[in-house]
Amino acid sequence: MLLGKIIGKVWAEQKVDSLKACPMYMVQPVTSLGNQTGHPLVAADPRHIACPGDTVVVVTSTDAVQAFETADAPVNASIVVLVDRLE
Amino acid sequence: MFLAKVKKRVVSTKKHDAYRGKRVFVIQPVNPDGTDAGSESVAVDYVGAGIGDTIVCGGAPGVAQEVFKLDHAPIHNLIIAIVDQICYRET
Repeated sequence: MLLGKIIGKVWAEQKVDSLKACPMYMVQPVTSLGNQTGHPLVAADPRHIACPGDTVVVVTSTDAVQAFETADAPVNASIVVLVDRLE
Repeated sequence: MFLAKVKKRVVSTKKHDAYRGKRVFVIQPVNPDGTDAGSESVAVDYVGAGIGDTIVCGGAPGVAQEVFKLDHAPIHNLIIAIVDQICYRET
């Protein structure tokens, strides 16, 4: 699980059925101070909680599938928390 | 599983249902001597950890569903122990 900033949206007309109603975003991993770290990744947002510019928590690996209601989407990065602030 | 230090608390109102009522922290993986080891991560608390604590972070796929009694739990890192002391030998 990592902190990231949404730097863009990925548009795709052709995609697997389980991702049809699910937006995908480009996420740049950041530190808790807001500095960039590592390479950007694509993350699904099954609960529609984020917008470009937001800081979010992304869950990676097999647990990302659990963010979907049906738990059958072929993803390995899902946005699960919209960060208001860190304290 | 890895050692880490709790750095900051994530405050959030909009989140996946599985995260309701749970405390989420930014953690910094550390070596036994306390120096940083790799980049920061995020973890869900299960033992009552606080900021500044050294903790053990772990969790296999599916374990979060089990411990929080949820159908779907997109949680990869769980804080599973608060470290009191580490005894180790330099290799």
